[in-house]
Amino acid sequence: MFRKQILFKLMVLVACAVPVLLLFILSFTANWRFPDLFPKSLTTSNWTDLLTGNSNTQSLLLSLAIAISIAILATMAGFVTSQWIAYHPNKKQLLLLTYLPFVVSPVILAVCLKFYFIKMNLAGTVAGVVLAQLIIAFPYSTIFFTGFWNRRIQQYQSLVSTLGGSSAFAFRKVILPMAKPMLLVCFFQTFLISWFEYGLTSVIGYGKVQTLTIKVYQFVTEANIFYAALSCCLLILPPVIFLWLNKKFIFRQGEGSE
Amino acid sequence: MKLRPVNITASILLLVFSVIPLVAGVGYALLYSLGLTGALQNEFTWLNWQKVFNDGQTVISFLYSAALSLAAVIISVGLALWVTIKQRGLFTKGIFSYVIYLPLAFPAMVAAFFFFQFLSKAGILSRLFYNLNLTDSVGGFPDLINDRFGIGIIVTQVFLSCPFFILLLTNMYKTEKVDDYLLLAKSLGANARQATFRLAVPMLLHKGFPTIVLYFIFMFGAYEIPVLLGRSSPEMVSVLAVRKLQKFNLYDIPQGYAIAVLYTFFVLTLIALLFRNRKIAYDV
Repeated sequence: MFRKQILFKLMVLVACAVPVLLLFILSFTANWRFPDLFPKSLTTSNWTDLLTGNSNTQSLLLSLAIAISIAILATMAGFVTSQWIAYHPNKKQLLLLTYLPFVVSPVILAVCLKFYFIKMNLAGTVAGVVLAQLIIAFPYSTIFFTGFWNRRIQQYQSLVSTLGGSSAFAFRKVILPMAKPMLLVCFFQTFLISWFEYGLTSVIGYGKVQTLTIKVYQFVTEANIFYAALSCCLLILPPVIFLWLNKKFIFRQGEGSE
Repeated sequence: MKLRPVNITASILLLVFSVIPLVAGVGYALLYSLGLTGALQNEFTWLNWQKVFNDGQTVISFLYSAALSLAAVIISVGLALWVTIKQRGLFTKGIFSYVIYLPLAFPAMVAAFFFFQFLSKAGILSRLFYNLNLTDSVGGFPDLINDRFGIGIIVTQVFLSCPFFILLLTNMYKTEKVDDYLLLAKSLGANARQATFRLAVPMLLHKGFPTIVLYFIFMFGAYEIPVLLGRSSPEMVSVLAVRKLQKFNLYDIPQGYAIAVLYTFFVLTLIALLFRNRKIAYDV
C-alpha cells in the first residue's frame, strides 16, 4: 500500500513537472540530437538573444499588453452584464445566449467573422485581435460572475437602499469590496484566455500580430525547436505565477471567509 | 426590470459581444456556402452542401473528432474519478496541491509542442527506449504522433484536462458530502465496491455531467493540438474547415463555410439539449 502510494506520487510528479523541466532544458540548448538522453552542453545564448532585442521580446510585450487589456475589459464588462442577466426574468435564455460564442471553436468563429474584420479595417491589427478575443473572454467573464449575484447580495443592496444609500454608494462600498476576490480570479482567468489564444489571433491577426503563441507555431514550423522552447517557457511563466498566487492568496482568502 | 443606464449598457454588451458575432458569422458562412455571397457569388446552389456530404471526408472528420474527444474525456474523467475516490487527500495540502496546477498553466500550443518533442520518433521517450536497448534505431519506435489513431492528440488532451477534472471532482466530493453517503450506505450493508460504483461514481458523474459535456465540446473543436500532432487524413473538424477556407482553391471556400456551419449547428444543439433539462453554471 505504502509502495503504491510512493509510486503514485512519483507518477504525478513526473507527469506534471517533466514537461516544464524539459522545456526549460530545451531553451538552454542549441544542439540536442537523437540518441542523446541529455544535451551535451547548455548555453544561455537563446535567453541572451531574447534580452538583447530579439523579436521574442516584442512578442512578449505585445502578448502582455493584449492579455492585460482583455483581462480589464472582459472583467469589467462581464461584471456589469452578469448583474443584469442574474436579476432578469429570462435569466436562463440570456445565459444560453452568453454561452454560445464561448463554446464554439475560436478558430471557426474567427474564419466566419474574418470578412467583417476586413471590412472594418481591423484584420491584421492589434485592435482587431483585442476585439476578437473579447468575443470569447466576455462570455466567460459574464458566466463566471452570474453566480455572484445571489439572494444575499440582493439583500445587502436592499439594506443599503433602506438606510438611505444610493445604488452607486451600494456598488462602491458594499458590492465591490465583496466581489474583490472574484474580480481578481476573473482578471487572472481572462488574462489566461487571451494569453493562451492561438486560433483566433492567427486568423484575425493575419500573422501580422505576432503574439507568443503565434511565435511558437512559427518556430515549430521552421523547425527551430530551441527558440520554440524559449517562447514556450515565456508562455507558461505568467500562468504559473498567477496560478500560484490564485492558490496561495485568493483560495485561502475564500476559505478564511467561509 | 427597470430601464437603467447600466442595464442598457449590459444588454448592448451582450448583443455586441455574444449575439451579433455569432449570428453575423454563421449567417455569412451560410450565405457563402449557398452561393449567395463571396467571391464565387452567382446564384443559390446546394452544390457545396452536396459535395460536403458526398465526399465522405466531412463525415469521417466529424466522427474522428467525436471519437478522439470521447476517448480523451473518458480517460480523463476515469482517471480523475479514481484519484478522487482513492487518492484525493494528496492534493489538498503540501507540494502536490501546487504541482497538480502545473498542467493548467500550459496553453494548448505549448502542450502540443511538448508532446511533439516527447513522443516523436526522435523524441525523449524514443531516446529512453534506445538507451535501454528496447529499440535499435529511430525507426524502431512506434508512431505516437501524427498517427492514425490520434494517440498524440489524446495524450495531450488528457494531460491538459485530467488535472482540471481532478480538481473539479475532489471539490464536488467535498461539497456533495459523498463521504457521509458512503458511510450511510456501508452502515446499511453495502460493501466497498457497491458503495463506490453504485453511489460515489454516479453521484460525481451526475453532478459533473454539464462540465464533462462542455469539455467534450471544447475538445471536439480543438485546433492547436490536432494541427501540430494530427495527420492530414483524417483531420479533426476545425483543422479541416480552416484548411479548406485558407487554401488557394476558391472552390473549396464555400465547402469550408458549410463545414463551419455544420460544426456550429452541432455544438449549439448539444448546448441547447444540455440547457433544456439542467441548471448549469460554468464551474471554476
